[in-house]
Amino acid sequence: MENMKSARKEDTGVVGRDLSEQIKAATKENHVRAENTQLMLSYQKGQITLPQYKVLLCSLYEIYKVLEEELDRNSTHPAVAPIYFPQELARLEALESDLEVFLGSDWRKRVIVPAATHRYQQRLRQIGEENPALLVAHAYTRYLGDLSGGQVLGKITQKSLGLSGKEGLSFFSFPGVSSPNRFKQLYRSRMNSIELKEEERREVLEEAVSAFELNIQVFDDLQKMLSVTMATADQSQSGFPAAPQISQFTMRLCVALATVVTATSTLLMIQYNKND
Amino acid sequence: MDGETTTHTLTMAEEEEPLFSNLDLFLFTLIVGLVVYWFMSRKKPEPIPEFKKLDVPAPTTRETSFIEKMKKTGKNIIVFYGSQTGTAEEFANRLSKDAQRYGMKGMATDPEEYDMGELSRLSEIKNSLAIFCMATYGEGDPTDNAQDFYDWLQENDDEDLSGLNYSVFALGNKTYEHYNAMGKYIDKRLEELGAKRLFDLGQGDDDGNLEEDFISWREQFWPAICQHFGVEASGDDSSIRQYELKEHPDLKMNKVYSGEIGRLQSFEVQKPPYDSKNPFLAPVTVNRKLNEAGDRHLMHHELDITGSKIRYESGDHVAIFPVNDSALVNKLGQVLGVDLDVVFSLNNLDDESNKKHPFPCPTTYRTALTHYLDITNSPRTNVLYELAQYASDPKDQENMRKMASSSAEGKALYQNWVLDSCRNILAVLEDMPSLKPPIDHMCELLPRLQARYYSIASSSKVHPNSIHICSVVVEYKTKTGRTNKGVATNWLKNKPVTDNGHKSTIPMYIRKSQFRLPFKATNPVIMIGPGTGIAPFMGFIQERAWLKQQGKEVGETVMFFGCRHKNEDYMYREELEEAEKNGVLTQLHVAFSRDQEEKVYVQHLLKKNKEALWKLIHLENAHIYVCGDAKSMAKDVQTTFHEIAEELGAMARTQATDYIKKLMTKGRYSQDVWS
Repeated sequence: MENMKSARKEDTGVVGRDLSEQIKAATKENHVRAENTQLMLSYQKGQITLPQYKVLLCSLYEIYKVLEEELDRNSTHPAVAPIYFPQELARLEALESDLEVFLGSDWRKRVIVPAATHRYQQRLRQIGEENPALLVAHAYTRYLGDLSGGQVLGKITQKSLGLSGKEGLSFFSFPGVSSPNRFKQLYRSRMNSIELKEEERREVLEEAVSAFELNIQVFDDLQKMLSVTMATADQSQSGFPAAPQISQFTMRLCVALATVVTATSTLLMIQYNKND
Repeated sequence: MDGETTTHTLTMAEEEEPLFSNLDLFLFTLIVGLVVYWFMSRKKPEPIPEFKKLDVPAPTTRETSFIEKMKKTGKNIIVFYGSQTGTAEEFANRLSKDAQRYGMKGMATDPEEYDMGELSRLSEIKNSLAIFCMATYGEGDPTDNAQDFYDWLQENDDEDLSGLNYSVFALGNKTYEHYNAMGKYIDKRLEELGAKRLFDLGQGDDDGNLEEDFISWREQFWPAICQHFGVEASGDDSSIRQYELKEHPDLKMNKVYSGEIGRLQSFEVQKPPYDSKNPFLAPVTVNRKLNEAGDRHLMHHELDITGSKIRYESGDHVAIFPVNDSALVNKLGQVLGVDLDVVFSLNNLDDESNKKHPFPCPTTYRTALTHYLDITNSPRTNVLYELAQYASDPKDQENMRKMASSSAEGKALYQNWVLDSCRNILAVLEDMPSLKPPIDHMCELLPRLQARYYSIASSSKVHPNSIHICSVVVEYKTKTGRTNKGVATNWLKNKPVTDNGHKSTIPMYIRKSQFRLPFKATNPVIMIGPGTGIAPFMGFIQERAWLKQQGKEVGETVMFFGCRHKNEDYMYREELEEAEKNGVLTQLHVAFSRDQEEKVYVQHLLKKNKEALWKLIHLENAHIYVCGDAKSMAKDVQTTFHEIAEELGAMARTQATDYIKKLMTKGRYSQDVWS
């Protein structure tokens, strides 16, 4: 663990009674592990490819769709109201517009939902229904992440995919937040104003750990899925889809036949010329 | 072959014995065909469709000596970048491109790809310079690609870099503790190792405006470098121009910009949403003076946002677009001897640039100088440098170039003649009569007129359709006997109130802030806002009053205000005293700095009330808010809190500092300060 790097700011000192501090301490290890998944490491190195990013976007869309639905439904719940910032934070519209840029206008039909993403959604729906006080754990994990390291990832994405301008990168942009750092400070003060009994507090911290794990599983799932696809592509030597493969064969045959025909006629001509 | 010969040939062939039988031929060509097929079916490196090709550096023997590369390609300037997100790299690319304009050649370079130990060899190249664009990452760390270079610098104490000319631009973020640590380290370390610093360390703050910081530094950087190397800009002087003038004598007025920021006609036909490119023209409903006496002019304005769909919260900022004083604009026209109502465009000579014009075009000179250009701040050195060519008096020309140079004498001259004397562009032109620049070149060089931000002084719960602001008029006499006036404040002062006959509007939009009352009304708040810093607290107080009216339980609401004289500039006195009377303000402390012999400021009152304050902060979760002057007041207030924590919290100074810092991280100590 000591060898794993983290871009997160180190926190020194004793953890007090504030939820913001407790959650950060409780998820410290998970955070490092999430940063060091294969997918995230490649991402940070600028090695994410367009197909990889498209699939990641689909998962993010599915996750935020449910998270924001549950936050909206429970917006007046005493544990959600203080941290309910739809104008500043909501990602759904941005994700939809990015998906349209990358997948085209029929993107809704082409969205993929891998297994780990589906599990994440189910968890969110469950707590939205049964225990909305736990939603803050997920909101903290995703949104504060997006406002921190997420900003750096936006620039890396732009470079890796060779994009000029901001098209397709709305996810990383928070027009309602003039200063990510100050907003995080405000968000923390709001988290700390949520009244929780001891038992509930423990549950929130546990849920935050789960939230990180769910994210890690989503990354790992995507990584596995994309490695398999890449391997298949290598074997077929022409990349997917399969259709070009067939036409390759036909092309070669045609060339060969053409050569035969040309060779034949050349030799015939030589022969007949010889006899001249 | 003509027909006869062919027939003849064929006839001959039939008669003679063929060399190969037809079957032989067929078999032969079949074999050839199969061989061809086999060759073709061998694995070919196909470009994979729809995948973006990643730039893979050629794994062949790569030049690791940047000195050799520079010599081979005739470059004298090398720009190293320590970049994580690409910003520093982008800046490095831009600097490298800039070199051309000054008759030099630059290359942007990743330190990870070269042997940095070669730095001492740069002296082998004439007029060489190493520029470093270094970002700081995490906790004062180098970016990944600069790690090796950083290690090398640390380890090699006996490295002699006396032949190395360098300059550093640092990229970072002020909200982090180790702001620009990497850039600062490199700037210092290179000097320690004997290298020669040609230009001061530039510092860019991503929490503020990194781009602006970079441009400001760059504008002074190049003239200094040119001065040092004794190089003039390449080509003739007019090639420095970035834009080309085009006049439009016959253009219809509805195609001409008359002050809009974005879309043409956006002031005529207003469409939400309203933002920095599309401001809302808010009618002014109130414009009143706040102070009773004294030589300053404090004012309160109210802007009507009915029908705009604009929403705000107390603590937010309102951005307004001011215009320059028409008298000033007219004087400029006179001094330059031009007709200000000529319609023109300035078109970018670089076709690939996204920025087609420096400001909305086509427009008139009058509009450009009134709405789009900053003509009141002292011109920067690069402006003086570029305009020097238009001074017919050689002494004037020399002085202008000198002021733009990095020499000690030049810097002193600029400081004295321009900055200390508060000369704006008009003053420069008036005091250097031989200087007669073409107005279009001047328009290209002047910076854009910026929107001004004011903390909103009202609560949307109480005033959903009105935005209140308070400000103090800026006006002062300069050493040259002129009177300089603040653009926005004088414009606000002279803004009439809208009445039935005349609509008086202000282009504005809301910029959300994070300066907010606590979520729970019962949470105690300590507000510190002397002078116009009281603005957001008027909104906070209105909101707490409203909550009380709604029957909610409201916690301690403490206000610390300060001004010069009780009977002169005690702004919002009635409102504050009323709030105290009603119990909305549980404590009101006012410092009158000049009403007695010794100066009394808000921080003195904080000290006086330390016990009560400490109880609120340490035991009752109070949120602290500071608004107003950044340089002195905010710092002094913060220091006072350190002292209170130290004394009443029985902490060491470092512990007290950490305590306050933690309050900030947790959103319990917020600042809305300006310099």
